[in-house]
Amino acid sequence: MSEQPDVSAFCPKGDVLVIAEQILGDLQPVTLELLGAGRLLADKMERNLKCLVLGYNLGDMPQKLIEAGADEVFVADDKELFSYRTLPYRRVVVDFLDSLPEPPHTCLLGSTTTGRDLAPRISAHFETGLTADCTELDIGPYEHKNKVDPSKIGLYPNCLYAIRPSFGESLKARILGPWKNPQMATTRPGVMTPNKHEAGRKGKITAIPVKLIPEDHRLIVADTVREISKGIKLTEADVIIGGGYGLGSADGFDLLRQLADTFENSAIGASRKVVDLGWIPYQHQVGQTGKTVRPKLYIACGISGAIQHRVGMSKSGMIIAINKDPDSPIFKFAHHGIVGDIYQIVPEMIKQFKEIQSGKGVEAVVGSH
Amino acid sequence: MSGGLNIYVLVKQVPDTGSKAGLNPDGTIDRAKAKRMLNPFDRFALQAALHAKRSYGGKVTAISMGPPPAVEILLECLEHGVDEAYLLSDRRLAASDTLATAYALHKVLNYIGKPDLIFCGLQTTDGDTAQVGPQIAERLGLPQVTYCEDFHMEDGKVHARRIIEGGYQKVVAETPLLITVANSYHPLEYKSFRGAWRVRRLARDQDELKKFIHTIDLDLVSADPERTGLKGSPTIVAATEKVGELGGSCKMHEGQSAHELVADVLKASDLNQFLVGSSK
Ligand SMILES: Cc1cc2nc3c(=O)[nH]c(=O)nc-3n(C[C@H](O)[C@H](O)[C@H](O)COP(=O)(O)OP(=O)(O)OC[C@H]3O[C@@H](n4cnc5c(N)ncnc54)[C@H](O)[C@@H]3O)c2cc1C
Ligand SMILES: Cc1cc2nc3c(=O)[nH]c(=O)nc-3n(C[C@H](O)[C@H](O)[C@H](O)COP(=O)(O)OP(=O)(O)OC[C@H]3O[C@@H](n4cnc5c(N)ncnc54)[C@H](O)[C@@H]3O)c2cc1C
Repeated sequence: MSEQPDVSAFCPKGDVLVIAEQILGDLQPVTLELLGAGRLLADKMERNLKCLVLGYNLGDMPQKLIEAGADEVFVADDKELFSYRTLPYRRVVVDFLDSLPEPPHTCLLGSTTTGRDLAPRISAHFETGLTADCTELDIGPYEHKNKVDPSKIGLYPNCLYAIRPSFGESLKARILGPWKNPQMATTRPGVMTPNKHEAGRKGKITAIPVKLIPEDHRLIVADTVREISKGIKLTEADVIIGGGYGLGSADGFDLLRQLADTFENSAIGASRKVVDLGWIPYQHQVGQTGKTVRPKLYIACGISGAIQHRVGMSKSGMIIAINKDPDSPIFKFAHHGIVGDIYQIVPEMIKQFKEIQSGKGVEAVVGSH
Repeated sequence: MSGGLNIYVLVKQVPDTGSKAGLNPDGTIDRAKAKRMLNPFDRFALQAALHAKRSYGGKVTAISMGPPPAVEILLECLEHGVDEAYLLSDRRLAASDTLATAYALHKVLNYIGKPDLIFCGLQTTDGDTAQVGPQIAERLGLPQVTYCEDFHMEDGKVHARRIIEGGYQKVVAETPLLITVANSYHPLEYKSFRGAWRVRRLARDQDELKKFIHTIDLDLVSADPERTGLKGSPTIVAATEKVGELGGSCKMHEGQSAHELVADVLKASDLNQFLVGSSK
């Protein structure tokens, strides 16, 4: 251990860069989470936290990013960047990184449909490592001993530890790639903790050029439909009755509405699958691309519990799952499980709940046969 | 097939997560013992590729990178109606991360010929990164539609609908184009009797089979071995840690009838506190 190879060449300085995400001017919560995670990494290495935001008519968004923890914000504001498109966004990010005197140490994006579209393009362009869907990030040392590639052997003091669940969440893998900067990662929405908002926090805001070429327009956006924020107050309900494909048809929601009516301050939630089928409007969708809810009680009816649904409701106080498949993943994280048919269980629930409401005590209801 | 579309579908063989065989005590997968299957997400990509061929004409070629047993999933693709398949199999590919995998696969695509449409699965059930598709598109300099739920072609352009946070996006793209297909796309149709029969017959004659499934290596596709495998991979899996089953504390209720089941839940939980009229 006496002779350490000089690895400073592998670990140049470089800051932490967060690529912000907004949809049609609506700053996405994952960006604040990334700034939270990025701040910790930057502080640990005593580097700056920078943020790049792309869009059109961004207004005070750059200042908001500074108040959320960025030291410097780079802004690409152009009509062509209004809707996210892979090639124009990719061009601006690549040109920006090329213009820097040295690459950032770390570059972070959200593990959203946008981040997972853009990040691999950037990583492939710069031939740098990218870790997907991280739930923890850290900075620490790493000693590489594997002799397959002797040029990589050595002790690396400041590596990005990108930690991600794998194999159905049963393992956590720590992925490293200290050989080339930027070390890239996407992080799972809803996991990292944002910084405390600091109103009036000062930082530098720099506009950067947007130079697209005709080839960047090989794809155009015809329409962006976002209905999620309208209508019902899903996030404020104490009780959510979630309906999935197991309902069999849109009519199934009538039954769920009757169940919901037995509860105080309740609302109807749904999986993306049934929203896509048109059984219920978008506003009811719970999950990664829908709403994140945290009711006191969530009753999942005919929902399999796919990861994209789970991330939107797993923090509910109590989760009761009704599913006819005993091996359904929902039973891996629900608190109470009933293996059975919705159309037998839910009417029975309504009946017993109504009996309780009509004055009979719980004991009287559950004890009777 | 002149004039038709050159359609590619990329498929990966993954350990069968449904079967417990081949799971090491620490939760990692013993690839030698594990049962294998076609990555479930690639079934949607295969359906999309076959749909494009049936609707707009052309030829579908399946490509996989992996050890020799991956030929099994290529046979499965042929059964479903894929015309031809390539297996890139080379020891030097071992331990490739997504960047190295995309490098090797883009070399295969360049070697075989001019693609019009390239379909990938959304992600795999083992590596689960969803990165390989976009990284191939970058290498090939192509536009991409990720998270594609549906598409059709009009005047040579692809009209597609893709998932975004809070809704969806409708896009129109030129070909050549790379598409990653979401699991909300149409499920893979059952293989036809004819397809299955054809493959059974092919499989009897190894020479005949080789005309449809080509096993190729890095040298043939002019790929630089230094850019694949461990050497060509900027990332490594440095450590894994078992985190145990999720929650794992679900109380499964029992009962002979719906009545008993619901009663059991009421007894065990205090959900009655949330009922109308029960608060305060
Ligand atoms: C990028 C991306 C984003 C996504 N975002 C979201 C999101 O925000 N929210 C979301 O929910 N999904 C999302 N999805 C989709 C997600 O992957 C799943 O496909 C979806 O959640 C499945 O919906 P489901 O549980 O209703 O249907 P299924 O998975 O088909 O499950 C139906 C369940 O019902 C059970 N069942 C059937 N009949 C009965 C019966 N009579 N009684 C009781 N049980 C019955 C079955 O056993 C099964 O478990 C997303 C996917 C992608 C790729
Ligand atoms: C636990 C674990 C974590 C990992 N994490 C990372 C990580 O964060 N970053 C990283 O760079 N590598 C990672 N890897 C390595 C990565 O899994 C491999 O590089 C793998 O070859 C491709 O990645 P994927 O399985 O994630 O494919 P994905 O990118 O999820 O696959 C998307 C689509 O690309 C196509 N495709 C992918 N692989 C092939 C193939 N071999 N042949 C044909 N088509 C294919 C298929 O259409 C597939 O549906 C990880 C591996 C493990 C075991």
